[in-house]
Amino acid sequence: MTQIDASALTVEGIRSARQAIEYCYAQGWTDGLPVVPPLPEFVDEFLAHTRRHPEEVVVRMDHLHRQCTVRQAAINAVMAGCRPEYFPVVLAALDAFHQLGTALVQSTTGQALLVVVNGPVRKQLGFNCTENIFGPGDRPNATVGRALRLVIMNALGVRPHEFDQSTHGTPAKYSCCIAENEEESPWEPLHVERGFAPETSTVTVQFIRSDLHVEHRSTQVPEEILLTIADSMSYAGGIYEAPPYNRNSGSVVVLGPEHAQIIARRGWSKQDVRQFLWEHFGKPKRELRRFGKILGLEEEPEEAFIHTAQSPEAILLVVAGAANAGVSTVCSNFAWRRATCPIEEPLPS
Amino acid sequence: MADSALFEQRGIPAAAIITSAFTRTAHLMARQYGYPDYRYAVVPHPIGNLTPAQVRQRAQEVLPQVLALLGLAEASGSAAAGS
Repeated sequence: MTQIDASALTVEGIRSARQAIEYCYAQGWTDGLPVVPPLPEFVDEFLAHTRRHPEEVVVRMDHLHRQCTVRQAAINAVMAGCRPEYFPVVLAALDAFHQLGTALVQSTTGQALLVVVNGPVRKQLGFNCTENIFGPGDRPNATVGRALRLVIMNALGVRPHEFDQSTHGTPAKYSCCIAENEEESPWEPLHVERGFAPETSTVTVQFIRSDLHVEHRSTQVPEEILLTIADSMSYAGGIYEAPPYNRNSGSVVVLGPEHAQIIARRGWSKQDVRQFLWEHFGKPKRELRRFGKILGLEEEPEEAFIHTAQSPEAILLVVAGAANAGVSTVCSNFAWRRATCPIEEPLPS
Repeated sequence: MADSALFEQRGIPAAAIITSAFTRTAHLMARQYGYPDYRYAVVPHPIGNLTPAQVRQRAQEVLPQVLALLGLAEASGSAAAGS
C-alpha cells in the first residue's frame, strides 16, 4: 500500500482536484463515475511499466476508424483509478480483446468483457480471487476491468446513446475482472489448461451478457450440482432463437471452490465436468416449442435434445470465490470466443 | 450503414434500410464515414418478430423510399427517407 501523508494535503489542493474531476465529466470522458484526471506525468508513470512503444496500436476498430494506442490505454488506465503497476495487466487484457474482435461491444445484447487473471501476478498485485469475487472492494479487479470500458468509450468511441446500442447492458459493463482461486481449485489453473506455464501470468477475456447466481448447498453428489448449473445455463431467455446461435452459443461457469472440491473428490476432471455440462446445456425441441424458439429446427424430432453449444469447449470453467458456500455463477454468452494473453514481466526497478 | 457508405465510396449506388430504433446510430455511422447528410430508408421497429407475409408487406411499403434513394423514382410524401 502506498503511504499517503494526509498532512501534506491542502484544502485548496482538494478543491482543485474536485474541479479537475468535474472537468473530466464535462469532456465526456467518464462512465458516470468520477475519474482520476490524467495529467501527462501520471500517464508517464504508467508507460514506465511497459517495454512497449507508446504509439503502438493495441486495439483496432476498423469500421469506426478508431484505434487504441499504448498511450491511450495508459490515459484510460489512469482515469480508471489503476495503479501504474497494473498497466501490463490492462495491456494484456486489451491484447486479448483485440484477438476477440471488437464488434460485439456495439451489440444490443449489451456485452461486458469478463477478464480472468491467472498466475503469480494475482498475489503480486493483490487481485481478489475469493470472497465477493464479482463484487466491490478490490482495487486491482475494479480498476483493470474499468480501464477496458473507458478504452471502449474514449479511445474506440463506443459510448452509450451513440455507438453502444445495448438494450439493457449490464452492471458488469462498468467492470468485470476476477482472478482464479488457484489455491483452492482442485484442478490445473485456467492458464495452464490453455497452454501456459504455471509461473506465467495471463489474462483470459470473453464477452458475457449477464451473470446468474447458482445455489446448491445440500448435496455431495456431483451430478446434482452439475445438473443445477446446466439448468441455469439453459434458461429460455438465454437461448437465442435463430440459427446459428441457437446451437452455437457458450457459457462461462465460475465454480465456487466448495462445488469444485465436491465434484473433484468423486474423481471428476475439468474435461469430465465440461462434457457433462455440455450434454445438458439446452432443451428438448418440444420444450423450445412452448417458448416459440424453434427457428431452424423444423427437421428435428420433437423429442430431440437441442444442444445450445456445439462442443464442450464452448464452456469455460473457472474456479473462483470463497470456499464458504455451495454457490457458483453462470455467465451467459451470445457468441462465445475467448482469448488468453500473457502479461508482460515487470521491468527491473 | 457502414456497408452502404463503403459501396458509395466505390461509386456503387446503395440504399440503407434502418428500423426506426436505430436512426441515431445510422446517422452517427454515416457521419463517421464522411456523409453527415446521408439519406436512408426507415421502416418501423421491430422487424425480428414479423411473419414472412408481414416482412413482404414492409418491403412493399419501403420500396418507394429505396427506389428514390437509388434515383430510380420520386419518394412519395408519406414515405420520405430519413436523414
